Amino acid sequence: MNVHVQEDLSQHTSRADDGIAKGADLLKVENISLSFGGVKAITDISFDIKKGEIRAIIGPNGAGKTSMLNVINGFYFPQQGTITFRGEERRRARASETARDGIARTFQNIALFKGMSTLDNIMTGRITLQKRNLLWHALWKGPAEREEIEHREAVERIIDFLEIEHIRKTPVGRLPYGLQKRVELGRALAAEPALLLLDEPMAGMNLEEKADMSRFILDVNQQYGTTIALIEHDMGVVMDLSDRVVVLDYGKKIGDGTPDEVRNNPDVIDAYLGVPH
Amino acid sequence: MLSEIFVEPFVDMVSAPDFLMQVLWEGLVSGILYALIALGFVLIYRSSRIFNFAQGIMVVFAALTLVGLHEAGVPAWVSVALTLGVMFVLAFVVERVVLRPLVGQPDIILFMATIGITLFLIGFGEIIFGGENKVMITEQLGIPTDSVVFEPFGGLLILEQKDIAAAAIAALLVIGLLLFLNKTRMGRAIRALGDDPQAAMSVGISLQTIWVLVWFIAGIIALVTGIAWGARAGVSFALEVIAYKALPVLMLGGLESISGAIVGGLMIGMLEKLFEIYWGQPLLGGNTETWFAFMLALVVLLFRPQGLFGERIIERV
Repeated sequence: MNVHVQEDLSQHTSRADDGIAKGADLLKVENISLSFGGVKAITDISFDIKKGEIRAIIGPNGAGKTSMLNVINGFYFPQQGTITFRGEERRRARASETARDGIARTFQNIALFKGMSTLDNIMTGRITLQKRNLLWHALWKGPAEREEIEHREAVERIIDFLEIEHIRKTPVGRLPYGLQKRVELGRALAAEPALLLLDEPMAGMNLEEKADMSRFILDVNQQYGTTIALIEHDMGVVMDLSDRVVVLDYGKKIGDGTPDEVRNNPDVIDAYLGVPH
Repeated sequence: MLSEIFVEPFVDMVSAPDFLMQVLWEGLVSGILYALIALGFVLIYRSSRIFNFAQGIMVVFAALTLVGLHEAGVPAWVSVALTLGVMFVLAFVVERVVLRPLVGQPDIILFMATIGITLFLIGFGEIIFGGENKVMITEQLGIPTDSVVFEPFGGLLILEQKDIAAAAIAALLVIGLLLFLNKTRMGRAIRALGDDPQAAMSVGISLQTIWVLVWFIAGIIALVTGIAWGARAGVSFALEVIAYKALPVLMLGGLESISGAIVGGLMIGMLEKLFEIYWGQPLLGGNTETWFAFMLALVVLLFRPQGLFGERIIERV
């Protein structure tokens, strides 16, 4: 019986091992255009995210970075272009469906469940890992309980990893900003995602908190091999963390490459220093 | 005059404690039913910010379906199961036809849509079951109809067994619901969706599934309420009116709080009965139960706009 449970658990944790080799394309966006009414948020953007890398998306305010993440995780449907995730082209997948496919994310303005404890918040991250569907669970709780314990253990590991044991039972609405960001990362990690999208994980943090968060991001990437795409404004952090950087400005891609390449790209320098167009 | 308001009622209460207990019990039983209806509102409001005006008619519709099925020759308990099935279909159809096309619209639009559901269910119910009053199949469901007599303080206290049964079933339902919301993954999903829909979707919670589920649970609550209330007062469309009593309960308890709905419901049930017997009938000619709850809610709102148990709204600028 125990052996059986063990197998189930390994099945869960293997979601990130999807047969895609490290360094091969995990996600590919091609010629994506997105507009709201007459306002163009994104124009004809293509780039790829390779398995195992940390990919930064940078650009001035209003460049379309968050819109891009929203397209990738299914909050927005682009008018044009294709998204290929794990070699399969995706059409109009909703956010709850992409979550099931293994894309987890955090938000620029923390989106936690404020009334719930840290533990419960992180537990919600594991909802997609449950095998039986939601309604089925509502009707019969018995087998669900055993699974609940497995998931609880996985969540405790994440809590240890993020060093937030002391706030396990605290309602997250009461936590300081830096810790809330950490809990939000925990919730995304709990899903054992194949692709982790982080929208400004260090915004509003002090130096020490930034150092902690950088360490967590690197550890997640190295220990679990999780592919990460992150938006960040702190250039020092971006250059240190990321393997490759894509630069957006006014909804268009103006640069793509390693941190060094991007740093020396004249278009990027213009965008950041503000040269008249 | 002052003595009639401030002294005599309390003298009456102390001098006949058995009668006071009887009054409180009667109030408690109606309070339980108010609380159940309010619970249906709270559940839907918490998970979708929709103020579900149709909760009252769902009570009537569930009770009518149950009685109607039984009249058509279906055994009582099978009728209960079938009625639950009907409530599930209703939840499913409401989500598909009404809520899904209106996702992202302002709250007031969704509120209007639930008024639409109410009107539809009234018409649909009358076509299928007719407009005349029906008798709840209390005995067929095995609910005892005798009464229990106590003699506290040498007086007399009569409790109807069906009221006791209603209280017990309501208590079980509430405990079950609280366990479900707080201990299960589904319950967490429901609370998560109410807290932050976008974040909930990003962790893989499907708006559609949860909406069907909460409307179904509201349907189950409606059926229980319908059976309990129908056993006391018969089943008719007039029952829908008791749903409006849930409004002051919600104002007192707050729209978000399950414990608020329960305490608010019981409080209003008992207070309105006390007021009617000790102040209303001697001083105001009776029939104060129709308005007392609303007055009480109004007074409470003057001092605590978020209700007695509602979450304090702090706007950050």
